[in-house]
Amino acid sequence: MNDPHRDVGAATFTARDDPAREDAGLLRRIGQGDEDAMASFYRAHGRVVFAQVLLVTGERVLAEEIVQDAMLAVWRGAGSFRGESSVRSWVIAIARRQTRDRLRGRRLRVVDDANLADQPGSGPGPEVTALDRAELAEVTGAIRELASPHREVLGLAFGSGLSLPEVAGVLEIPVGTVKSRLTAARTALNRILNEKGQNR
Amino acid sequence: MNADPADTRYPHLDLGDLIAGAAGQPIGDRAREHLASCEHCQLEANRWNLVAGGVRGLAAAAPGTAQPARPRRTGQRVLAGPWRRAMLVAGSAAAALVLLAGVGEVTGLVHVHLSGPSTETALTAVTGCSQLEQADGTLEQVTGSSLVITTASGQPVTVTTTATTFVSMSGPLLSDITDGASVMVRGSSSGGTITAAIVTVGQPFSAVNPLGFVPVQGTVSDASTAGFTLVTSSGTRVPVTTSGGTLVVIPHASPGQLQAGATIFAVGHAGPDGTLSARGVAAITQFRSGPHLGVSVRDCSPSSVTEALGAISAAPFSGG
Repeated sequence: MNDPHRDVGAATFTARDDPAREDAGLLRRIGQGDEDAMASFYRAHGRVVFAQVLLVTGERVLAEEIVQDAMLAVWRGAGSFRGESSVRSWVIAIARRQTRDRLRGRRLRVVDDANLADQPGSGPGPEVTALDRAELAEVTGAIRELASPHREVLGLAFGSGLSLPEVAGVLEIPVGTVKSRLTAARTALNRILNEKGQNR
Repeated sequence: MNADPADTRYPHLDLGDLIAGAAGQPIGDRAREHLASCEHCQLEANRWNLVAGGVRGLAAAAPGTAQPARPRRTGQRVLAGPWRRAMLVAGSAAAALVLLAGVGEVTGLVHVHLSGPSTETALTAVTGCSQLEQADGTLEQVTGSSLVITTASGQPVTVTTTATTFVSMSGPLLSDITDGASVMVRGSSSGGTITAAIVTVGQPFSAVNPLGFVPVQGTVSDASTAGFTLVTSSGTRVPVTTSGGTLVVIPHASPGQLQAGATIFAVGHAGPDGTLSARGVAAITQFRSGPHLGVSVRDCSPSSVTEALGAISAAPFSGG
């Protein structure tokens, strides 16, 4: 059989030579009021941040407003970036806080992280079979039906180009909990696919 | 890696490796070697790859968003509510542009003017499936599973592949016809000898099946620069001649086999940052320069992508 990771591709990275150095330089210039640097920063990170926020909120207009707020926060607070994380995870963390504030303000019911089932099942069940049979489009559709925290952790792990420690930093939880949450998300995804399969 | 209670010789990949692999991040050599031989881990990796692909599909489907306006640095209040929304909606219509917002305040409103257009998109639509996009250009670099190609307009595009990505290569690759290889030969027959027009190496590839040639399948023997002997399943030995005009198609290649300078056609889903998460990649060297061919698929299924790229692989024989 093929090695499924022989080509560990599908990463969400850019073709930039040294993203960390470029980002640091952009933030320095943004802190000095350089609007061109802000435009470059937006081009480098805006779409990823927007996709992540949209994945969590499911509402385009709201997501656009949150991204705008996050970018404004970057514009105002570029000088406060201390380099303790990657710029990508920093701006995503800003957007995540904005998202939480907005969802609280709208009094939307949000599943509390503490109540989220982070413990995976003990082994593969019938749902895993459903995932094995699923087409990509079905999986994409099923992800939309996941609870927000599950969508969030999947988006951070697979759509944002962040490492697991960076995902843990954004979510402010240990790496082990990130893994558990990812597994729980996959289990929930399997369950949705299984239900859809039974209803066909 | 985790030890498998049933077989301690081959500890299975841990979740971190599987997730890192699906996320496109590097995994260690030991993990990679184990994965190559462990069906259990391959199955798990494929499941995570599918989940990751689903997430990327959603990200790719996310519409572009306008670049936000910036307030003056004098601390005026940022636009809120309907005005900002209206501005964003207006900006979204020009999402393909790079919006450089010139912001000024007049009676409390923010005016935004666009200084685009600037960059053109490097990805183009695929006829027959609105979910798919195409990138084509010259292969500049292969790093692991990622390809960097340069489009005709000079724009670099990163194409990422996974284990499920169909990767083919074609061209005058006569050195890839080696003794013992299973091949399908298509050509003209005269005096018991086949003059090969197309030789497909490896598993039969129905997509490379242009009209006018009778396919003969067998195993290569006595390979040389001038040809080889095709040994059919019945044991019949058929002389086959090859030349610089013989097109060799390798339908199941790996990214590491692709050579810089080849013309690349990649079909897949657009990802963040302008990358393309490829379902299929065709690397061809039979064209002297990289033409732009619009890929057309029957539907959105993987087999349709394979067929379409197969037709391109066989160009010019297929008329692609």
